[in-house]
Amino acid sequence: MSEVRIAAEPRTEFGKGAARRTRRAGKVPAVLYGHGTDPQHISLPGHDLMLALKTPNVLLRVEGLSGGGSELALPKGVQRDPIKGFLEHIDLLLVKSGEKVVVEIPIELSGEIAPGGMLDQQLVQVAIEAEATHIPQQIEISIEGLEVGAQISAAELTLPSGTELSTDPEALVLHVVPERTAEQLEAELAEATGEAEAAEAPAEAAEAEGEAAEAAEGGEAASGEQE
Amino acid sequence: MLIPRKVKHRKQHHPKRTGMAKGGTRVNFGEYGIQAVEASYVTNRQIEAARIAMTRHIKRGGKVWINIFPDRPLTKKPAETRMGSGKGSPEWWIANVKPGRVMFELSGVPEPIAREALRRAMHKLPMKCKFVKREVGEG
Repeated sequence: MSEVRIAAEPRTEFGKGAARRTRRAGKVPAVLYGHGTDPQHISLPGHDLMLALKTPNVLLRVEGLSGGGSELALPKGVQRDPIKGFLEHIDLLLVKSGEKVVVEIPIELSGEIAPGGMLDQQLVQVAIEAEATHIPQQIEISIEGLEVGAQISAAELTLPSGTELSTDPEALVLHVVPERTAEQLEAELAEATGEAEAAEAPAEAAEAEGEAAEAAEGGEAASGEQE
Repeated sequence: MLIPRKVKHRKQHHPKRTGMAKGGTRVNFGEYGIQAVEASYVTNRQIEAARIAMTRHIKRGGKVWINIFPDRPLTKKPAETRMGSGKGSPEWWIANVKPGRVMFELSGVPEPIAREALRRAMHKLPMKCKFVKREVGEG
Protein backbone atom coordinates (compact mmCIF):
# COMPACT_ATOMS: atom_id res chain seq x y z
CA MET A 1 0.00 0.00 0.00
CA SER A 2 1.45 3.36 -0.97
CA GLU A 3 1.81 6.03 1.68
CA VAL A 4 -0.02 9.36 1.64
CA ARG A 5 2.00 12.47 2.41
CA ILE A 6 0.35 14.95 4.71
CA ALA A 7 1.72 18.23 6.09
CA ALA A 8 1.41 18.73 9.82
CA GLU A 9 1.71 21.87 11.91
CA PRO A 10 2.64 21.69 15.58
CA ARG A 11 -0.11 22.77 17.97
CA THR A 12 0.89 25.10 20.77
CA GLU A 13 -2.46 25.92 22.35
CA PHE A 14 -4.83 23.31 23.75
CA GLY A 15 -8.37 22.98 25.05
CA LYS A 16 -11.75 23.24 23.39
CA GLY A 17 -11.40 26.91 22.40
CA ALA A 18 -8.12 26.30 20.58
CA ALA A 19 -9.45 23.08 19.04
CA ARG A 20 -12.49 24.94 17.70
CA ARG A 21 -10.29 27.67 16.25
CA THR A 22 -8.23 24.98 14.52
CA ARG A 23 -11.37 23.39 13.06
CA ARG A 24 -12.69 26.77 11.88
CA ALA A 25 -9.43 27.20 9.98
CA GLY A 26 -10.17 23.99 8.07
CA LYS A 27 -7.71 21.87 10.04
CA VAL A 28 -8.11 18.85 12.26
CA PRO A 29 -6.46 18.58 15.70
CA ALA A 30 -4.44 15.38 15.96
CA VAL A 31 -2.07 13.61 18.28
CA LEU A 32 0.84 11.41 17.24
CA TYR A 33 2.22 8.80 19.64
CA GLY A 34 3.82 5.38 19.85
CA HIS A 35 7.10 3.55 20.48
CA GLY A 36 7.36 5.07 23.97
CA THR A 37 7.90 8.59 22.66
CA ASP A 38 6.20 11.69 24.03
CA PRO A 39 2.91 12.48 22.30
CA GLN A 40 3.14 15.23 19.67
CA HIS A 41 0.16 17.54 19.26
CA ILE A 42 -0.31 18.56 15.66
CA SER A 43 -2.97 19.86 13.30
CA LEU A 44 -3.57 18.40 9.85
CA PRO A 45 -5.29 19.82 6.76
CA GLY A 46 -8.95 18.74 6.97
CA HIS A 47 -9.70 18.10 3.30
CA ASP A 48 -6.49 16.15 2.59
CA LEU A 49 -7.01 14.05 5.69
CA MET A 50 -10.64 13.35 4.77
CA LEU A 51 -9.54 12.13 1.31
CA ALA A 52 -6.73 10.03 2.80
CA LEU A 53 -9.08 8.33 5.26
CA LYS A 54 -11.26 7.04 2.44
CA THR A 55 -8.70 4.22 2.14
CA PRO A 56 -9.03 1.79 5.06
CA ASN A 57 -5.91 1.67 7.28
CA VAL A 58 -4.14 4.28 5.18
CA LEU A 59 -0.42 4.70 5.83
CA LEU A 60 0.32 8.38 6.39
CA ARG A 61 3.70 10.07 5.99
CA VAL A 62 3.37 12.97 8.43
CA GLU A 63 5.72 15.79 7.46
CA GLY A 64 6.66 19.04 9.13
CA LEU A 65 6.97 17.72 12.68
CA SER A 66 8.71 19.74 15.40
CA GLY A 67 12.07 17.99 14.84
CA GLY A 68 11.84 18.83 11.14
CA GLY A 69 11.55 15.20 10.14
CA SER A 70 8.73 13.02 8.95
CA GLU A 71 7.17 9.92 10.46
CA LEU A 72 5.01 7.04 9.27
CA ALA A 73 1.72 6.68 11.11
CA LEU A 74 -1.53 4.74 11.01
CA PRO A 75 -4.90 6.15 12.06
CA LYS A 76 -5.68 4.66 15.46
CA GLY A 77 -8.83 6.52 16.48
CA VAL A 78 -10.96 8.79 14.31
CA GLN A 79 -13.56 11.03 15.94
CA ARG A 80 -16.26 12.38 13.68
CA ASP A 81 -19.30 14.55 14.22
CA PRO A 82 -22.08 11.96 14.49
CA ILE A 83 -24.46 13.80 12.14
CA LYS A 84 -22.41 15.93 9.78
CA GLY A 85 -19.57 13.42 9.62
CA PHE A 86 -16.72 15.96 9.56
CA LEU A 87 -13.50 15.08 11.31
CA GLU A 88 -13.13 16.35 14.87
CA HIS A 89 -9.92 14.70 15.99
CA ILE A 90 -7.60 11.92 14.99
CA ASP A 91 -5.14 9.74 16.92
CA LEU A 92 -2.15 8.62 14.88
CA LEU A 93 0.03 5.70 15.87
CA LEU A 94 3.71 5.84 14.95
CA VAL A 95 4.93 2.85 12.96
CA LYS A 96 8.25 1.91 11.42
CA SER A 97 8.86 0.41 8.02
CA GLY A 98 8.84 -3.38 8.38
CA GLU A 99 7.13 -3.32 11.77
CA LYS A 100 4.25 -5.73 12.29
CA VAL A 101 0.95 -4.20 13.37
CA VAL A 102 -2.50 -5.60 14.15
CA VAL A 103 -5.24 -3.92 12.11
CA GLU A 104 -8.87 -4.55 11.25
CA ILE A 105 -9.36 -5.33 7.55
CA PRO A 106 -12.77 -5.10 5.88
CA ILE A 107 -14.22 -8.28 4.37
CA GLU A 108 -15.51 -7.94 0.81
CA LEU A 109 -18.06 -10.43 -0.49
CA SER A 110 -18.41 -11.43 -4.12
CA GLY A 111 -21.02 -13.55 -5.87
CA GLU A 112 -24.54 -14.57 -4.94
CA ILE A 113 -25.69 -17.32 -2.60
CA ALA A 114 -27.99 -20.11 -3.78
CA PRO A 115 -31.70 -19.21 -3.85
CA GLY A 116 -33.74 -20.06 -0.74
CA GLY A 117 -31.06 -18.92 1.67
CA MET A 118 -30.33 -15.69 3.52
CA LEU A 119 -26.80 -14.55 4.21
CA ASP A 120 -26.02 -13.72 7.83
CA GLN A 121 -22.65 -11.98 8.04
CA GLN A 122 -21.38 -11.96 11.61
CA LEU A 123 -17.98 -10.33 11.02
CA VAL A 124 -17.52 -7.38 8.67
CA GLN A 125 -13.90 -6.78 9.64
CA VAL A 126 -11.24 -9.19 10.73
CA ALA A 127 -8.10 -8.47 12.76
CA ILE A 128 -4.86 -9.49 11.07
CA GLU A 129 -1.18 -8.96 11.74
CA ALA A 130 0.66 -7.46 8.81
CA GLU A 131 3.66 -5.31 8.00
CA ALA A 132 2.77 -1.66 8.47
CA THR A 133 3.90 -0.83 4.95
CA HIS A 134 2.06 -3.77 3.35
CA ILE A 135 -1.42 -3.72 4.83
CA PRO A 136 -3.97 -5.31 2.48
CA GLN A 137 -6.99 -3.13 1.71
CA GLN A 138 -9.55 -5.93 2.02
CA ILE A 139 -10.06 -9.66 2.19
CA GLU A 140 -12.28 -11.13 -0.50
CA ILE A 141 -14.62 -14.03 0.07
CA SER A 142 -16.57 -15.68 -2.70
CA ILE A 143 -20.05 -16.68 -1.58
CA GLU A 144 -21.10 -17.87 -5.02
CA GLY A 145 -23.61 -20.70 -4.75
CA LEU A 146 -23.39 -21.18 -0.97
CA GLU A 147 -26.24 -23.42 0.16
CA VAL A 148 -28.36 -23.17 3.31
CA GLY A 149 -26.32 -24.33 6.31
CA ALA A 150 -22.95 -23.43 4.77
CA GLN A 151 -20.66 -21.39 6.96
CA ILE A 152 -17.25 -19.77 6.75
CA SER A 153 -15.07 -19.31 9.82
CA ALA A 154 -12.09 -16.97 10.24
CA ALA A 155 -9.64 -19.86 9.78
CA GLU A 156 -11.06 -20.51 6.29
CA LEU A 157 -10.24 -17.04 5.00
CA THR A 158 -7.60 -16.76 2.32
CA LEU A 159 -5.23 -14.16 3.69
CA PRO A 160 -2.77 -12.25 1.50
CA SER A 161 0.86 -13.38 1.80
CA GLY A 162 2.80 -11.92 4.71
CA THR A 163 -0.26 -11.60 6.93
CA GLU A 164 -1.45 -13.69 9.86
CA LEU A 165 -4.85 -14.02 11.42
CA SER A 166 -5.02 -12.24 14.75
CA THR A 167 -8.57 -13.11 15.70
CA ASP A 168 -10.08 -16.36 16.98
CA PRO A 169 -9.82 -18.88 14.10
CA GLU A 170 -13.11 -20.45 15.21
CA ALA A 171 -14.96 -17.13 14.92
CA LEU A 172 -17.88 -17.34 12.51
CA VAL A 173 -17.56 -14.90 9.63
CA LEU A 174 -20.78 -15.71 7.81
CA HIS A 175 -23.35 -18.44 7.41
CA VAL A 176 -26.38 -19.05 5.25
CA VAL A 177 -29.69 -19.46 7.05
CA PRO A 178 -32.99 -20.54 5.47
CA GLU A 179 -35.14 -17.70 4.16
CA ARG A 180 -38.33 -17.03 6.09
CA THR A 181 -41.39 -18.51 4.44
CA ALA A 182 -44.42 -16.35 3.66
CA GLU A 183 -46.35 -18.12 6.46
CA GLN A 184 -43.60 -17.42 9.01
CA LEU A 185 -43.58 -13.77 8.02
CA GLU A 186 -47.37 -13.51 8.31
CA ALA A 187 -47.31 -15.29 11.68
CA GLU A 188 -44.62 -12.93 12.96
CA LEU A 189 -46.51 -9.83 11.85
CA ALA A 190 -49.81 -11.19 13.24
CA GLU A 191 -48.09 -11.93 16.55
CA ALA A 192 -46.70 -8.39 16.68
CA THR A 193 -50.16 -6.92 16.03
CA GLY A 194 -51.70 -9.26 18.66
CA GLU A 195 -49.11 -8.22 21.23
CA ALA A 196 -49.81 -4.55 20.56
CA GLU A 197 -53.53 -5.08 21.10
CA ALA A 198 -52.91 -7.14 24.24
CA ALA A 199 -50.66 -4.45 25.66
CA GLU A 200 -53.27 -1.81 24.88
CA ALA A 201 -56.04 -3.59 26.82
CA PRO A 202 -54.39 -3.66 30.29
CA ALA A 203 -53.23 -0.08 29.82
CA GLU A 204 -56.80 1.00 29.16
CA ALA A 205 -58.06 -1.01 32.15
CA ALA A 206 -55.46 0.59 34.40
CA GLU A 207 -56.40 4.00 33.04
CA ALA A 208 -60.09 3.37 33.79
CA GLU A 209 -59.21 2.30 37.34
CA GLY A 210 -57.05 5.35 37.77
CA GLU A 211 -59.86 7.59 36.50
CA ALA A 212 -62.35 6.05 38.95
CA ALA A 213 -59.96 6.56 41.83
CA GLU A 214 -59.26 10.14 40.76
CA ALA A 215 -62.98 10.85 40.42
CA ALA A 216 -63.63 9.51 43.91
CA GLU A 217 -60.80 11.62 45.30
CA GLY A 218 -62.06 14.63 43.34
CA GLY A 219 -65.57 14.13 44.71
CA GLU A 220 -64.28 13.97 48.26
CA ALA A 221 -62.20 17.07 47.73
CA ALA A 222 -65.20 18.92 46.25
CA SER A 223 -67.41 17.94 49.20
CA GLY A 224 -64.62 19.08 51.53
CA GLU A 225 -64.49 22.44 49.76
CA GLN A 226 -68.26 22.91 50.10
CA GLU A 227 -68.04 22.25 53.82
CA MET B 1 -44.09 -4.71 21.98
CA LEU B 2 -40.93 -3.73 23.86
CA ILE B 3 -41.46 -3.12 27.57
CA PRO B 4 -39.15 -3.58 30.61
CA ARG B 5 -39.74 -6.75 32.63
CA LYS B 6 -39.12 -5.07 35.96
CA VAL B 7 -38.48 -1.48 37.00
CA LYS B 8 -36.96 -0.04 40.15
CA HIS B 9 -39.23 3.01 40.16
CA ARG B 10 -42.64 2.93 38.51
CA LYS B 11 -42.81 6.68 37.87
CA GLN B 12 -39.82 8.72 36.82
CA HIS B 13 -39.03 12.31 35.94
CA HIS B 14 -39.02 13.27 32.28
CA PRO B 15 -35.61 12.51 30.72
CA LYS B 16 -33.44 15.38 29.47
CA ARG B 17 -33.68 16.09 25.75
CA THR B 18 -30.50 18.13 25.41
CA GLY B 19 -27.16 17.03 23.98
CA MET B 20 -26.03 14.60 21.37
CA ALA B 21 -25.84 10.81 21.38
CA LYS B 22 -22.72 9.64 23.18
CA GLY B 23 -22.53 6.21 21.58
CA GLY B 24 -24.33 4.06 19.07
CA THR B 25 -23.76 6.64 16.36
CA ARG B 26 -22.46 4.23 13.73
CA VAL B 27 -23.91 1.22 11.94
CA ASN B 28 -22.39 -1.73 13.76
CA PHE B 29 -24.45 -4.84 13.11
CA GLY B 30 -26.14 -4.45 9.73
CA GLU B 31 -25.28 -2.70 6.48
CA TYR B 32 -27.79 0.16 6.56
CA GLY B 33 -29.45 2.11 9.34
CA ILE B 34 -31.73 4.92 10.44
CA GLN B 35 -29.97 7.74 12.29
CA ALA B 36 -31.84 10.32 14.36
CA VAL B 37 -31.14 13.93 13.37
CA GLU B 38 -33.25 15.46 16.15
CA ALA B 39 -33.86 14.58 19.78
CA SER B 40 -37.16 12.94 20.60
CA TYR B 41 -38.95 10.47 22.81
CA VAL B 42 -39.73 7.30 20.83
CA THR B 43 -42.52 5.15 22.25
CA ASN B 44 -42.58 1.37 22.11
CA ARG B 45 -45.53 1.57 19.72
CA GLN B 46 -43.57 3.73 17.31
CA ILE B 47 -40.65 1.31 17.47
CA GLU B 48 -42.97 -1.59 16.75
CA ALA B 49 -44.73 0.25 13.92
CA ALA B 50 -41.37 1.07 12.31
CA ARG B 51 -40.22 -2.52 12.66
CA ILE B 52 -43.40 -3.87 11.08
CA ALA B 53 -43.22 -1.36 8.21
CA MET B 54 -39.64 -2.40 7.53
CA THR B 55 -40.33 -6.15 7.79
CA ARG B 56 -43.35 -5.91 5.48
CA HIS B 57 -41.28 -4.24 2.80
CA ILE B 58 -38.23 -6.50 2.92
CA LYS B 59 -40.58 -9.51 2.99
CA ARG B 60 -38.65 -12.72 3.52
CA GLY B 61 -35.04 -11.66 3.21
CA GLY B 62 -33.03 -9.44 5.48
CA LYS B 63 -32.39 -9.06 9.17
CA VAL B 64 -33.45 -6.18 11.38
CA TRP B 65 -31.77 -4.87 14.54
CA ILE B 66 -33.41 -2.48 16.99
CA ASN B 67 -30.72 -0.56 18.88
CA ILE B 68 -32.97 1.42 21.21
CA PHE B 69 -35.09 0.21 24.11
CA PRO B 70 -38.05 2.04 25.67
CA ASP B 71 -36.96 1.87 29.31
CA ARG B 72 -38.38 5.18 30.59
CA PRO B 73 -42.00 5.47 31.77
CA LEU B 74 -44.03 8.61 31.09
CA THR B 75 -47.12 9.30 33.15
CA LYS B 76 -50.40 11.03 32.36
CA LYS B 77 -53.18 12.39 34.52
CA PRO B 78 -56.69 11.32 33.50
CA ALA B 79 -58.81 13.82 31.55
CA GLU B 80 -60.89 16.38 33.45
CA THR B 81 -59.01 15.85 36.69
CA ARG B 82 -58.19 18.67 39.07
CA MET B 83 -54.53 19.44 39.64
CA GLY B 84 -52.80 17.87 42.61
CA SER B 85 -53.40 14.48 44.23
CA GLY B 86 -50.13 13.07 43.07
CA LYS B 87 -48.44 12.03 39.88
CA GLY B 88 -50.53 10.39 37.16
CA SER B 89 -50.36 6.77 36.17
CA PRO B 90 -47.73 5.38 33.74
CA GLU B 91 -49.05 5.73 30.21
CA TRP B 92 -46.16 5.28 27.79
CA TRP B 93 -42.78 3.61 27.63
CA ILE B 94 -40.24 5.66 25.76
CA ALA B 95 -36.65 5.61 24.58
CA ASN B 96 -34.90 8.96 24.95
CA VAL B 97 -33.19 9.36 21.58
CA LYS B 98 -30.55 12.04 21.01
CA PRO B 99 -29.30 13.31 17.63
CA GLY B 100 -26.80 10.98 16.02
CA ARG B 101 -28.21 7.76 17.42
CA VAL B 102 -28.56 4.84 14.99
CA MET B 103 -31.93 3.38 15.99
CA PHE B 104 -32.53 0.60 13.47
CA GLU B 105 -30.19 -1.47 11.35
CA LEU B 106 -30.86 -3.69 8.41
CA SER B 107 -28.84 -6.19 6.39
CA GLY B 108 -29.23 -8.92 3.81
CA VAL B 109 -31.15 -6.92 1.20
CA PRO B 110 -30.03 -4.85 -1.81
CA GLU B 111 -29.57 -1.14 -1.18
CA PRO B 112 -32.65 0.12 -3.10
CA ILE B 113 -34.90 -2.20 -1.07
CA ALA B 114 -33.17 -1.23 2.17
CA ARG B 115 -33.60 2.48 1.37
CA GLU B 116 -37.30 2.08 0.69
CA ALA B 117 -37.85 -0.12 3.78
CA LEU B 118 -36.07 2.35 6.02
CA ARG B 119 -37.89 5.30 4.42
CA ARG B 120 -41.20 3.65 5.31
CA ALA B 121 -39.95 3.03 8.85
CA MET B 122 -38.85 6.68 9.19
CA HIS B 123 -42.46 7.78 8.60
CA LYS B 124 -43.44 5.93 11.79
CA LEU B 125 -40.90 7.80 13.91
CA PRO B 126 -41.47 11.15 15.58
CA MET B 127 -38.26 12.91 14.54
CA LYS B 128 -36.26 13.78 11.42
CA CYS B 129 -34.06 10.86 10.49
CA LYS B 130 -31.59 9.95 7.80
CA PHE B 131 -30.44 6.84 6.01
CA VAL B 132 -26.88 5.78 6.85
CA LYS B 133 -24.55 3.08 5.58
CA ARG B 134 -21.88 1.13 7.37
CA GLU B 135 -18.35 2.53 7.23
CA VAL B 136 -15.44 0.17 7.66
CA GLY B 137 -11.70 0.45 7.98
CA GLU B 138 -11.50 3.53 10.19
CA GLY B 139 -9.61 3.30 13.43
